[in-house]
Amino acid sequence: MTKRTGVFVCHCGKNIAATVDVKKVAQELAEDDGVVFSEDYVYMCSDPGQTAVIDAIKDNDLNGMVISCCSPTLHEKTFRDASELGDLNAFQCEIANIREQCAWVHNDMEVATEKALKITRASVRRVQHNQALEPIGVPVTRRALVVGAGIAGIQAALDLTDAGLDVVLVEKQATIGGNMLKLSETFPTLDCSQCILSPKMVSVSKNSKIKLMTESEVESISGFVGNFKVKIKKKAEFVDPELCKLCDDCTPVCPVAVPNEYDVGLTNRRAIHIPFAQAIPASFTLDEEACLGLDPVVCGKCEEVCDVGAIDYDKKPTVTEEEIGAIVVSTGFDLYGMEHMGEFGGGRYPDVLDGLQFERLCSASGATEGHIMRPSDHKVPKEIVFIQCSGSRDPENHCAYCSKICCMYTAKHATLYKHHVPDGQAYIFYIDIRSGGKGYEEFVQRSMENDGVIYLRGRVSRVYEKDGKLKVMGVDTLAGRNIEIDADMVVLAQAMEPSKGTAEIAKILKIGRDKDGFLAEAHPKLKPVESVTAGIYLAGAAQGPKDIPETVSQAGAAASKVIALLSKDQLAHSPTVAKVRDPWCTGCEMCVDACPYDAIALVDGKAHVNEVLCEGCGSCVGVCVRAAIDVKNVTQLQVHEMISAIMA
Amino acid sequence: MSNPSKVTKAEDDTQGRASVAGARKPGATFEPRIVAFLCKWCSSAGSDLAGVSRIQYSANATPITIPCSGSVSPMYILSAFNKGADGVLISGCHPGDCHYMEGNYLARRKLYLVKELLQFIGLESERFRMSWVSAAEGAKFAEVVDEFVEDLRVLGPQNRLKAKR
Amino acid sequence: MVNVEEIRDYAANLLKKGEVKSVLGFRRGSASAFAEPCTITDVGEATSLVWDPTCLNNLTLYLVKDRKQQAAAKNPDNRPVGIVAKGCDSRAIGVLLQENYFKREDVVVIGVSCEGTGVVDPRKLSAKLKGRTASRVTFGGADGINVSVYGDETETVIPAREILADRCLECRAAVPALNDVVFGEAVGAREFDEPFHAAKEAESLSADERWATWEHHFDRCLRCFACRAVCPMCYCPECVVDSTTFVVTLGTSAEEKANRIRWCERSANTSESAVYHLTRTIHLAGRCIDCGECERVCPVNIPLRLLNTKLEKEAFEMFEYQAGHDIEQASLLSSFRDEDPNSFIR
Repeated sequence: MTKRTGVFVCHCGKNIAATVDVKKVAQELAEDDGVVFSEDYVYMCSDPGQTAVIDAIKDNDLNGMVISCCSPTLHEKTFRDASELGDLNAFQCEIANIREQCAWVHNDMEVATEKALKITRASVRRVQHNQALEPIGVPVTRRALVVGAGIAGIQAALDLTDAGLDVVLVEKQATIGGNMLKLSETFPTLDCSQCILSPKMVSVSKNSKIKLMTESEVESISGFVGNFKVKIKKKAEFVDPELCKLCDDCTPVCPVAVPNEYDVGLTNRRAIHIPFAQAIPASFTLDEEACLGLDPVVCGKCEEVCDVGAIDYDKKPTVTEEEIGAIVVSTGFDLYGMEHMGEFGGGRYPDVLDGLQFERLCSASGATEGHIMRPSDHKVPKEIVFIQCSGSRDPENHCAYCSKICCMYTAKHATLYKHHVPDGQAYIFYIDIRSGGKGYEEFVQRSMENDGVIYLRGRVSRVYEKDGKLKVMGVDTLAGRNIEIDADMVVLAQAMEPSKGTAEIAKILKIGRDKDGFLAEAHPKLKPVESVTAGIYLAGAAQGPKDIPETVSQAGAAASKVIALLSKDQLAHSPTVAKVRDPWCTGCEMCVDACPYDAIALVDGKAHVNEVLCEGCGSCVGVCVRAAIDVKNVTQLQVHEMISAIMA
Repeated sequence: MSNPSKVTKAEDDTQGRASVAGARKPGATFEPRIVAFLCKWCSSAGSDLAGVSRIQYSANATPITIPCSGSVSPMYILSAFNKGADGVLISGCHPGDCHYMEGNYLARRKLYLVKELLQFIGLESERFRMSWVSAAEGAKFAEVVDEFVEDLRVLGPQNRLKAKR
Repeated sequence: MVNVEEIRDYAANLLKKGEVKSVLGFRRGSASAFAEPCTITDVGEATSLVWDPTCLNNLTLYLVKDRKQQAAAKNPDNRPVGIVAKGCDSRAIGVLLQENYFKREDVVVIGVSCEGTGVVDPRKLSAKLKGRTASRVTFGGADGINVSVYGDETETVIPAREILADRCLECRAAVPALNDVVFGEAVGAREFDEPFHAAKEAESLSADERWATWEHHFDRCLRCFACRAVCPMCYCPECVVDSTTFVVTLGTSAEEKANRIRWCERSANTSESAVYHLTRTIHLAGRCIDCGECERVCPVNIPLRLLNTKLEKEAFEMFEYQAGHDIEQASLLSSFRDEDPNSFIR
């Protein structure tokens, strides 16, 4: 086919034109083989610019074009859409990035122009070998999986069912609700956490479109966007939730006591227990690890007293396979371990608590029924010190990032403390106060002005026990003096970190994590709820520290992405996939081994690409010694042509 | 794994470089030509970030964006040198960060062997370089290019594998 | 000591029972003492089989050729083939099995142990004999090769060290691990040169010295492709660096023909020959089993083994990978480990 290539060089106002002689680029390219049209324009992406592109395609009967402009991440789609409007296949349009990778990083016009020429010329040579491609249509399973049933997962699941989708909601714990369940009251309105969460939990349990699987974990995944197959492992269900009538006859006879997760270790529970009174599903559950061996010879007391016969020690774990179209991952956070905070006495002194433990002390459903008292001697603390950024913003020793919510929850803790202990004194050590959010700054101000909380700007060097007090050695950098407080209780605003198991789930789902271990979004600005894997979305603190309103917004956003995705009859999969040149292939399977997506298999002794599974990474191209496989529109021929163009 | 021969090689390469540098005329500015293969997701994005941050660096490296460092065929490297490149850079995502999960690990093993082979036949070791540059490392990308250009200036033109056409 | 009668009996038996259509082995050459490859199909021919230190060839090449022939044949005969294989040859079969070139049941491996010695290097032997021609070369125990020359039938024992092929001096596994039967004692260890000795020695030169050597070699290369022709791993339908081998089938479009990539020119000059040899080396990484055939057949004596063993050395030292040792493992380049070298990356 005769090459009829068009070149469009964008000035981007002065952004490109200030350092690249765009006219020269357009003029020189006009001389290149197969280039039948070459022009520069001040704003290619503007409406007149795009119209000019569309007209030029038609007028010159172009069968390929290069837009020499900004990064393809910005306007590749724009110009491919324009290309289609001009009746040129979208994949016959390529972007030459002469802004970010050239004009903006060089200041000598001569060298920048020379480089822009090379970049554009390479793209021209590439596009001249591009194939017209059509997106690959893939059928869709209209069913979503939500992993993690904290507030993010609950919100996403409810939003999804509102749109008529079926949802499988998987939760590792015995009840849904996550960390939000443990909170007493929420900033800045001080409404009760359970009062706003419980109705949503009940909605989940009563929603016929939600298949709730607690004490369950995703074991493996296969397939691809729109057509995942997910294996979910559910722990043995020793207590039948259908039969359990919540009589609580079993716990008094259970001889085992272990720390209660719901109270963050401030109380104990039995091996057989209900996570908390309003748990969903509303059933007792048997902690397999704590139970004395599930052996009636050793114990078996709970089974004996259960009138309805809800307990069966012989139950085995089950694995079910679910067909899923899209996935929301909302696996939440854990607090950074207290054992890391040795200098603050974390994990050593009973009256040095983390934020969640303090929530439990303030909560009416907590160990002390809402009375703040010291775990060590049940005395009401009169002097209390809160330390912010405990484990956060400390790249040398702890987490490098800001945990974002601690400033606000510490202000809330201090306020709640004052409400419980009006004659007590609260001190807060802080580095900065970050109170961005509706009503947040006002809340912090109120805690200072109305509740007399003393904010001390500076860090604490050490906390140690002396004469029944916790000596807090700190510094007030504003006043320029050392501070020593004899505290009755110290609360550490521990950093948030990805929940335990985040690394495993990321690996199973093949989604990336960032440097801090949080799940990585596909683009920090433009794709904040998408994971790097198509069809898998992120919500809540698993993606990064955030508070409840943000979590709920992100969950809604993730749900709406899933709804949009699954509203289609077919999904479009990128057609720039690998293609085998059969006569060259010897069936050595190097590509099969190298493919990260298991997209290649031998069929009749030759490699065969499953185009729906292929993501076009080219790992196969890199290992094939016979050059028998190529990624469409980035073929080895095209790369060769680009190298030639650059080195000409 | 200990490999005593590595030490000798490093020393040799310094000698090799000195001899080439010594042969060059003083004052002449040699502008090396570099072909830079950048993976789409990390290094090309990192290079975009360098642009957005307006970090100025040498214009000697012309980028070719590829899907993944794992898609680099050793032919690309040999071809670039054959066509006269003074240096070849391959840049991908950091280990563990590959958009395609494993491509950069495959690249690392393969390109290690290419590098060893090129050195073995006596191409100056500084001419072939690999880097990990994430989408957030615009400044690092600029540094990598600048350092490469500096090292190549010392070496002078690549004549060993260049076709005499 | 390998009793050649046992090999003959075994081969004859295979043919007699119809378990193989042919046996690839060695027979006495028509000139000089050196053995030559042969294919025997009749039971009676088995008596012509020989085994001595002149059985240089890697017969796996003919296994590959047979597969190609059958693939192109109208009425293919896909019955198994028997093959006499040394330790290195059996690793070649291992690589080919790993790459699904044929199936395990397609081949009966008649393994022979080199019993701690190996095969001779014709050039070394010729130099040693100072112009005389060897008439008979046999194994002479752990340290020696017995050689008699034409016109003087007295056997002289030449120290193995002096005339063995370089690859045999460096051999790490002289007993065929992949086999249906092995003749000879399982003496694997050598005490001649350390593994990768030659490659390590070449590494110790300076970069300039190394280039001077290789520039000289690449410059002399005739691009006769003898190295490719003799290599059992060079079974690709089209050689990536030789556009004249371009595969044309009924489905090949004119555009495809026009668009074949010329990674290097066909002209035999330094830069183009460098691309050819370097590509071949990389394409053999993790696949070369060091049979030394490329180097043996090179008409201009380019030390091609060096290139290949350099990468096999890196594969072994850095990735604990040995070509042809495990037919189930993923190939060197399509696998990785988290602890692969990373420090060379900026």
